Amino acid sequence: MDGNVTIILIQLAAFVLPLVFFGLIIGRTVEKRHLRQLDEFDAAHRAFQVTQLKSFPMAASSQSPPAMVVAEVVIGSDYLKSWFAQWRNLFGGEVRSFQTLQARAKREAIARLTRASIEQGYNAMCNVRIESADVGGGTGGNSAKKMPMAAVIASATAYHACSAS
Amino acid sequence: MIVTNTETVAGYNIVAIRGLVQSNTVRAKHAGRDIAAGLKNIMGGELKGYTELLTESRREAMERMLAQAQQLGANAVVNVRFTTSAVTSGAAELYAYGTAVSVESAH
Repeated sequence: MDGNVTIILIQLAAFVLPLVFFGLIIGRTVEKRHLRQLDEFDAAHRAFQVTQLKSFPMAASSQSPPAMVVAEVVIGSDYLKSWFAQWRNLFGGEVRSFQTLQARAKREAIARLTRASIEQGYNAMCNVRIESADVGGGTGGNSAKKMPMAAVIASATAYHACSAS
Repeated sequence: MIVTNTETVAGYNIVAIRGLVQSNTVRAKHAGRDIAAGLKNIMGGELKGYTELLTESRREAMERMLAQAQQLGANAVVNVRFTTSAVTSGAAELYAYGTAVSVESAH
């Protein structure tokens, strides 16, 4: 009887441990790399003016009209994060592992908006709006295949600003 | 067509309001995307299939919205907003709406 339990436990460990390992090693690496890329992007685009004002601060006249830019980002959790979150669910409190996930999705969305604006030749954007999106099943409902993910849709209006001096 | 998510357009004056324009799409994600996303959920990282799904839905909703604005004789859509909702697990609605207006250059 005890032997059976041990075998079951070993089988369970054999199944769960690689997943935790994947989450721990690869998940962490993926997250660290992403955060580094975002830091680099932010550092490289300091001059690009981003506001969430509805007006156009320091708008320059006689240029091409403003244009809306939109970005979508869906970032998945890793196994370890989901596992931590499940534990957190027992006691309540801040779910740190998902907090960083959401923060990454939002920062990535702003980075994409910035990139799209620069590609179209603008040097500023205003009225940044970030909303959480629903891609169906993953984030809500009682779906058996519930996958933790951060999905956002962000929009902003790109325009030409006078360079601050 | 000038499209912004602000209430005004810098360098332009709004001369006529043409009315609300709106459009939605409901898109289902195929099983392949779910499987890929399921695997990605072990290791973390961007779920590209779902990002693409959102992008496609948004493009389609916006195209239809802009066609409506054109029909109303507008040359700009301001204050564009998006909302999403899950219709069922596996399909999501993306709704885009804005105000169609006619603008003239202020210069």
